[in-house]
Amino acid sequence: MKRKVIAVLLTSMMTLGLVACGGGSSDGGSDANASDGGSEESSSSEDSGSSAASGDTIRLVNGKIEIDAQLKKLAEMYKEETGVTVEIESMGGGIDIQGTLKGYYQAGNMPDIFVNGGATDFANWEGMLEDMSGEAWASDTDAAYVDANGTIGFPYTVEAVGLAYNADILEKAGIDPATLTGPDAIKTAFETLDSKKADLGIDAVVGYCAEATNLYWSTGNHVFANYIDGGLDREDTTYIDMLNDGGKLDEARLTDFANFVGLLNQYSDPALLVSGTYDQQILNFASGKYAFVTQGSWIGATMTTADADAYAAAGNFKVGMIPYAFQDGMDTILTNSPSWWAVFSDGNKDAAKAFLQWCSESTAQQVLVEEAGFISPFKSCTYVASDPFAQTIIDYQTAGKTSAWHWLGMKEGLAQNFTGQVFNDYAAGRLDAAGFVKTMQQVVQACYAN
Amino acid sequence: MSENSTSRKMLSLVLLIAGAAGLVAALVMDFSGSENPIRGALLLLGAIVFLVGLYFIPTVEHHRSIINFIFLFPLLFTFAVTVIIPLLLGIFYSFTDWNGIKFNQFIGFTNYMSMFKDPAFIWSILLTFLFVVFNIILVNLVGFALALLCTSKLKGVNFFRAAYFLPNLIGGIVLGYIWQFAFNNVLVQVTAKTMNMQNSILSATNTAFAAIIVVYVWQYAGYIMLIYVTGLTTVPKDVLEASQIDGANAITTLMKIKIPMIASTITICTFLTLTSAFKQFDVNMALTNGTGSVADFMGSYLTNGTQMLALNIYNTAISKNSYALGQAKAVFFFIVLACVSIIQVRISNSKEVEM
Repeated sequence: MKRKVIAVLLTSMMTLGLVACGGGSSDGGSDANASDGGSEESSSSEDSGSSAASGDTIRLVNGKIEIDAQLKKLAEMYKEETGVTVEIESMGGGIDIQGTLKGYYQAGNMPDIFVNGGATDFANWEGMLEDMSGEAWASDTDAAYVDANGTIGFPYTVEAVGLAYNADILEKAGIDPATLTGPDAIKTAFETLDSKKADLGIDAVVGYCAEATNLYWSTGNHVFANYIDGGLDREDTTYIDMLNDGGKLDEARLTDFANFVGLLNQYSDPALLVSGTYDQQILNFASGKYAFVTQGSWIGATMTTADADAYAAAGNFKVGMIPYAFQDGMDTILTNSPSWWAVFSDGNKDAAKAFLQWCSESTAQQVLVEEAGFISPFKSCTYVASDPFAQTIIDYQTAGKTSAWHWLGMKEGLAQNFTGQVFNDYAAGRLDAAGFVKTMQQVVQACYAN
Repeated sequence: MSENSTSRKMLSLVLLIAGAAGLVAALVMDFSGSENPIRGALLLLGAIVFLVGLYFIPTVEHHRSIINFIFLFPLLFTFAVTVIIPLLLGIFYSFTDWNGIKFNQFIGFTNYMSMFKDPAFIWSILLTFLFVVFNIILVNLVGFALALLCTSKLKGVNFFRAAYFLPNLIGGIVLGYIWQFAFNNVLVQVTAKTMNMQNSILSATNTAFAAIIVVYVWQYAGYIMLIYVTGLTTVPKDVLEASQIDGANAITTLMKIKIPMIASTITICTFLTLTSAFKQFDVNMALTNGTGSVADFMGSYLTNGTQMLALNIYNTAISKNSYALGQAKAVFFFIVLACVSIIQVRISNSKEVEM
């Protein structure tokens, strides 16, 4: 009997202990549901302990980890002004953001504002996003994401895809970048530069890298974007519509594009072309070893931070962009908001909308432009970023010579699983221009078939 | 005694009902979206009260099985939540058009049909089989050779044992990136100077596949070596001595005594390498992420030259955003692996009987 009593006592103690622990963890759980839950991403989420105390809290999932600090500063300023806590949760650097968001959705842990990369991403959340067409900022920009459900994406920066060049080298070689508006002119310029390599102190004319494992996004998305949008009006969706109609490609246009890529293959640094890395590509360009580089305006941030020493040693040269003019008369570079912030309908939507409106206004824009280096998509913004490419983008925008980024609407995984490899095969010499066209058509169709 | 029994019956009944009520209330609260903070505690308390009630059920013949159940329950519950339920959900989703967020309709066997019509998937299956065959042979050969070295009377054998085992302690992703750097940034420098080859071996399908095998053997041979070392040290000394007296040389001893004596170890190692090579994912992903081209396979140009089965499933679900199709492939993968495991268990069991 005594043993029984002891057993019962012990059991009840264990039970109590378990219940106490369980209660604690469930408290934590519901708290997480209500406010934070991003504590796995602890490097970036704001302190959640303080958040519950003061009224409203909104949570923003940011896809650009490089501006995490600036966004947190904005959140602090916003809290001071309005008392609303904004938690910033940054992801990036190869994380599959949509995949993570899907996990959050399954766990009932959706953020109030989250990043979406384009039509395919937005389609995932169809019917769950707020229409923000009534907001004041919506009439202040051309870069918002608008579809049949209304204005559902808030733009926060503008990025440009073009053939970036080192203005000092072109000047030394006596080439005026304004004249490079067709494949023949560009070819002649490449030949001139190639013949003067030693004088100009450059290793190669172009830094073009078609590595398929880690840099598929550069070729498969950004270079290929020129096939889809190069030289077209912003609203022109001819080639993306063809592509999304079962993976059709325009053979004549693709052939011209293939010849242009062949030119890049021919004049690129052979050490970089097939197996190079992004770091190598940008470092060499910043060090003045290439006249051109096949990356967009985002490399400005890398050049002035990670590669700042090399860039300074090369004389902080001026940069600019020319179009990928694979047909005569193409005079546009591709500019767009690379991704948008969307508001989740079941979240704290009014506070989220108010925060976005505040982000589009002067105080927030100053931080975003001057500290985060963004090119503002808002017409009322008067700040100019110190980014090396900012002036070029603004020049093209004021001249109206920009095309959109319809590649954002390509089928998911097209670049990573299909086209990036074809660019790599072409660069490695396993395909010629005609083979590139034929293979591209076949591979893209295979992608759309599944 | 009879009074005691009735009171126990009452107690057990009350506890059972209270526990069940607690459980139901907590679940209802949870599914109705209530944020009530006591619901977790209530669920746990309900479960415990229910189990206590179960314990007090006045029965003699079932008492032992009830206790067995109570003690197994936590483990079974965890196993169900983490393995059984996800498996069933996965099979369920493979028959729908699920995209990771929601599904609209059941589409029957469409996913299963379309996956076998996709040349890229067939290629992944064949490549995985090829990889398994290469690895069973190479990992075992290298592992066994290292084990022989590490059981010989060399100096510093313990150091070498640890050194060979070390790669196995590094995670596959990290290891993949280390080797990617070695192939892309170091080996290229060598080949550029000696053969004028500026392209990394990871950029062509054949050499990239060979590179994955090399890295995998490097990672796994140390582990297999340890098992062989254990096997070799259990070979009885007297048998070895007897063979020496009979004048057997090293090779005869190896072939006629050591290898037959560790036959069961060889079976274990073969199956270990087989299953782990089948599930190869991390090195594959970090090293090439499945890139590489195949010019003509079943009439189409493939861009997933080095993509093995597990990575194919992952990329289908995550990067191509076809969660349901990925699930269908995963179910197929599960069936294949289950067959392999069943055969393995059968063979090891029959070996044990022989010994």
